[in-house]
Amino acid sequence: MSAPTATPDLAQTAPGARIGVVTFPGSLDDTDALRAVRLCGAEPVPLWHASQSLDGVDAVILPGGFSYGDYLRCGAIARFSPLMAELITAARQGLPVLGICNGFQILCEAHLLPGALIRNDVRTFVCKEQRLRVESTDTVWTQDFLPAEEISIVLKNGEGGYVADADTIERLEGEDQVVFRYLGPNPNGSVNDIAGITNDRGNVVGLMPHPEHNVEPLTAPSTDGRRFFTSVIGFLARAR
Amino acid sequence: MARVVVEVMPKPEILDPQGKAVTGALARMGFAGLTVRQGKRFEIEVEGELDDARLAQVHDAAEKLLANTVIEAFEVRSDETSTAPVGGAPADPASVAQGQVSTQPGAAASASEHADAAVPANQPATEAPNAEAAGQS
Repeated sequence: MSAPTATPDLAQTAPGARIGVVTFPGSLDDTDALRAVRLCGAEPVPLWHASQSLDGVDAVILPGGFSYGDYLRCGAIARFSPLMAELITAARQGLPVLGICNGFQILCEAHLLPGALIRNDVRTFVCKEQRLRVESTDTVWTQDFLPAEEISIVLKNGEGGYVADADTIERLEGEDQVVFRYLGPNPNGSVNDIAGITNDRGNVVGLMPHPEHNVEPLTAPSTDGRRFFTSVIGFLARAR
Repeated sequence: MARVVVEVMPKPEILDPQGKAVTGALARMGFAGLTVRQGKRFEIEVEGELDDARLAQVHDAAEKLLANTVIEAFEVRSDETSTAPVGGAPADPASVAQGQVSTQPGAAASASEHADAAVPANQPATEAPNAEAAGQS
């Protein structure tokens, strides 16, 4: 695998790759996700949670934020948004889906990913630059990383503690479905330092850190987040 | 109008940071020896007669939305005090909130009266007479 250094210029887009970003009431990072999609060379497509249609997009990002105020549980109400019915069906058929932070919580509530996110064991909101180790490049969202590569992606959440029963954890570890692990002190009490996971097919990925904030040197300590988006764009280009 | 109470608690093996925070605060305030786990209580007004089918519907709703059974156990029971005060107690929600188990003999249903047991409430309970109705999903 070549060193993934080149990233497209602003104007250099890949015609045809349309990546949707769903806005729920209370989403915060949808605009940044749309911007990251554009910066990395695909066409960003805003999607509204109350719509019934995915608008024919090639991939979907569920962004960070506090959908429905995080009432009841994080992601619990968003999971039943009208758009989610089609999204769940499409994801099970292989549509690439990335859930970031609140999006990860929604994917767990929707049972597209196993387990759940609970309040940080440190009981405080955590907002920091976070080192991660890439544990799996065998997903449509992480193909451009190097195996075991150490990257930096910002982390900001109050309920980021990943939990699942022992059998599920064993399966995730055994089937190579742990995609990212926290390096350094565990920031939130996640089991086995798990920061992100994928489904058995590798098309659905959820993680607590925010790659969409790590796409420009001016505003981020690294641009490692770009490769989430270039990974899926490359996957979509090869799939055509 | 009948009322159904759904109580949701984090499963015993799941860390409860909120409960730990409350426990710590109580200790600092001088309330020694109190360990708290924090959950949620839903009071649901139900139109029409509260029969087994209606309770089963609430159970279904609890399983689908009110609780995340990956991390939480839940209990569904009718709230008798909302319609028929027992023992002269006023139909005051506060009296229910303070009671550990307000289910009376012959109450319509309790999906799992023993919420502390390790058996998840979403599993059909065999000991409760109305569990067949409340436990189906």
